[in-house]
Amino acid sequence: MRYDPPFHKSSGFVPALVVLAMLLVLPLMIEASYLRHLMILAFVFGIVAASWDLSLGYGGLFNFAHVALFAVGIYTYAILTKTFGLNPWIAVLIAGPVTMALAALVALPVLRLDGIYVILVTIAFSQLVYQVIISQSSVTGGTSGIVTLPPLAIGDYKLTSDGRIGYYYVALGLTVAACAFLHGVIRSRLGRAIMALRDAKYAAIARGVPEGRTRVLTLAASGLFTGLAGGFYASYVRVASPDIFGLGSLTLVLSILLVGGIGTIWGPVCAAFAIILLSEAMADLGPWRDILTALLIIAVMVLYPGGLWGVVQEAREAFATARAGIRAGWRRRQGRPAREALMGATEAMLPTRHGHVAVSDTGGAGPAILCIHGNSACKEAFARQFAAFRGSHRLIAFDLPGHGVSGNADPETAYNVPAYADVAEDVLAALGVDRPVILGWSLGGYVGLELTSRAPARFAGLCITGTSPLNIVPEDFARGYDASSHLVLAGKQYFTAAEERAYAGSATVPLSKDSAFLHANINRTDGRTRYYMITKLGVVDWPRQMRMIREGALPLAILNGADDPFLDHGYIAGLDYGRIWSGAPHDIPGGKHAPFFNAPEAFNRHFSAFMDWANRPASITGTG
Amino acid sequence: MISFDTFLAVASGGLVLGALYALMAAGLAAVWTTLGIFNFAHGAFIALGAYIGWQLADAGGAGLGLTAGVVVATVALFGFGILFHLVLVRPFERRADIVTVSVITTLAGTAIIESAINLIWGPRSKQLARLGTGEIDLGLIRIPMGDLVLVAVVAATLAGLGWFLGRTRTGRAMRAVSQNREAAELMGIDVPRLYALAFGLSAAMAGLAGIFVGGLRFMTPTMGADPLMKALIVVILGGIARFTSPIYAALLVGLVESFSNYFVGLYWTPAVLFAIMIAVLYVKPSGLFGHHQRTL
Repeated sequence: MRYDPPFHKSSGFVPALVVLAMLLVLPLMIEASYLRHLMILAFVFGIVAASWDLSLGYGGLFNFAHVALFAVGIYTYAILTKTFGLNPWIAVLIAGPVTMALAALVALPVLRLDGIYVILVTIAFSQLVYQVIISQSSVTGGTSGIVTLPPLAIGDYKLTSDGRIGYYYVALGLTVAACAFLHGVIRSRLGRAIMALRDAKYAAIARGVPEGRTRVLTLAASGLFTGLAGGFYASYVRVASPDIFGLGSLTLVLSILLVGGIGTIWGPVCAAFAIILLSEAMADLGPWRDILTALLIIAVMVLYPGGLWGVVQEAREAFATARAGIRAGWRRRQGRPAREALMGATEAMLPTRHGHVAVSDTGGAGPAILCIHGNSACKEAFARQFAAFRGSHRLIAFDLPGHGVSGNADPETAYNVPAYADVAEDVLAALGVDRPVILGWSLGGYVGLELTSRAPARFAGLCITGTSPLNIVPEDFARGYDASSHLVLAGKQYFTAAEERAYAGSATVPLSKDSAFLHANINRTDGRTRYYMITKLGVVDWPRQMRMIREGALPLAILNGADDPFLDHGYIAGLDYGRIWSGAPHDIPGGKHAPFFNAPEAFNRHFSAFMDWANRPASITGTG
Repeated sequence: MISFDTFLAVASGGLVLGALYALMAAGLAAVWTTLGIFNFAHGAFIALGAYIGWQLADAGGAGLGLTAGVVVATVALFGFGILFHLVLVRPFERRADIVTVSVITTLAGTAIIESAINLIWGPRSKQLARLGTGEIDLGLIRIPMGDLVLVAVVAATLAGLGWFLGRTRTGRAMRAVSQNREAAELMGIDVPRLYALAFGLSAAMAGLAGIFVGGLRFMTPTMGADPLMKALIVVILGGIARFTSPIYAALLVGLVESFSNYFVGLYWTPAVLFAIMIAVLYVKPSGLFGHHQRTL
């Protein structure tokens, strides 16, 4: 499964452009050369920390020789320009690959190590580099370092002139390049391998990800811009000093990384400004500065474990949740007559274990049908079933928590399949419905399976559509569905406008006058429902569902669209069914992921036949 | 070649160094094996112990003599270690990324301790007297009394630690926790208390080591960084299979350093040590005397 839109199509694009534009005009507004100096330092340390994030955050490799790599970049520049008299620009460019090569060398002793050993060995490696540098005083200047390095210049124009404005723009350009490079690596095949090894090492190795080679490449990639930043930094401060190996610089870079938030790339780049400026603001405090900085780091660790990036994400989530909740409340009040007209049923809010949900109920004395809608949809998706069966049946549909005009609920407890089944139970109990037929669509199909497998005798039948029954999760998830980018959207918390259209289009039908209300539901859906539903797939008792299907404890129908873009029809056909209508899963020609919506006549005909069949005694309906 | 007398002098120097490293490494390993984290503040503990000892012992401070300094520094560091654990490690124990988080919090703790020393005692370097004066004639070789006391005190301390871990109920409980935390907890062992105790013992040993280091070199607020790196090498080299593993490795490192200083030279010795360590890790990642398991 792969879904990674290019950066210019992701939701971070516009904020990144705005920040870049601000950084471009900032030096024109601020004349103070000291502030520009701090900004340049922040750019450099931001690059170093963000590069470290690739190995530490994304790769889970605790490479504590990273600051030593930065120092290698510095010394490469110093030696190339001082000893060999090379052009400073070329020296900066060479510092990158040299550092990259050394970073790959760091990888060799840690190829076979894990966890804390990696920390210790890389610390030792960095000390080894330090010892080599101070012992070779004829080349490196020993403990006193190398001073008066040549600065960068274009022709006769020194980049330090005009209040360091040249250095500012080179540093900005380097930062943009570093971000683009790191973002590109993370999005690439290598990036996915890096994260797979971090998250599920043995599964990744079993699937053919080469651990050793990936580690070498991870560290090499994290070294490239670290070395370039080192060379640039040396050309800027014009000193190469072994002090850079001290605990002080390690603490500085590590605090930028952790305060920014690991595994984010952007977090460290932003945090670099905060930390460098703060550190400078306290410059007059002497030893107190280090104490206060240390206390600040500890406070961030305690209060915001995800770092500043975590705070940004929390704020974003709070905003998105509040916006979805306000939309739901607004539509609950404003759109009710239209919804009731569409469904031909009255709408009411009912209390359940997971908050109040909106329920449409046609009433009447006929056999009951409970419809459960899918991910990011709403109860009105079943309008065409309500219209067809209103005369003969009692139809009930409800909006899942966080969907439609139901309220938002606690994501930890309410946004998962068993909780949705709880809600369905509560709705049925509140309405006093006995032995209903359940019609579940997609996610609603799993809710239906969960609900009925708890007590099959209490239901008259179950019809699932757009749902692959699963036994082992997540393995069967990969078998039951065709991996497409839209399927990955099912678990994505935030949608861009394009993603909303894409997901609504493939989950239901492309936007038209008839389907507009389904599309409109996406931006009301609490994004956390998608994220928590997917991450909590593990809490569902999947084998119980499969057992029910296999043993035929309940009449079952599987009505799928023949053109469903998500399902693997072969997987579904190959399962073992105890008591299924028409003897096998049935595909509806021309039907998509919501066949009851885009091919309603055929769907309703089959569904009606299924309900007739389900009402017969078990001795007749049994297929075995 | 090297004469026999010189050989003995170099070897005895190596043994003294090795004893000192053993004391530092055993303290470092005590925390690592029980808590599974690496305490970067161990070097700062060493510095703090040295300064507290100086405050008590030196004429510039209270002038109570070195024995008082040793006792007070050790006891004070024991308490400080417990406090340090309570404030900087305990709150993060339940987090999945405790290994990285403890690196940053103990580094932050190092910055706080070093700056505090700087504020209290000032940046000017100081020196402690040595425990034991004069020289003693052992027939073949004359060695300083201070070295002899150092080796004797370290040997007694480590023997005491061995007795504690092997013979007392609390010590055995500590070994149980380091072998399997969950099982130990189920047996009714108070794990948080043992964690605090491990930190306290580790800091107390660092404090004692600080007094010795202060007698051998000048004291500065950052004096702990170098011993920390040596202890690190020792612990990696020896592994942590048993609490004795770092001790053997410490003696080995002390001897290698002493002979390397003599043959290869002062500047290259650290590089030699690190190269040996990386080579050992490459061949046997769990250390020379270890298996892939954390125990005391």
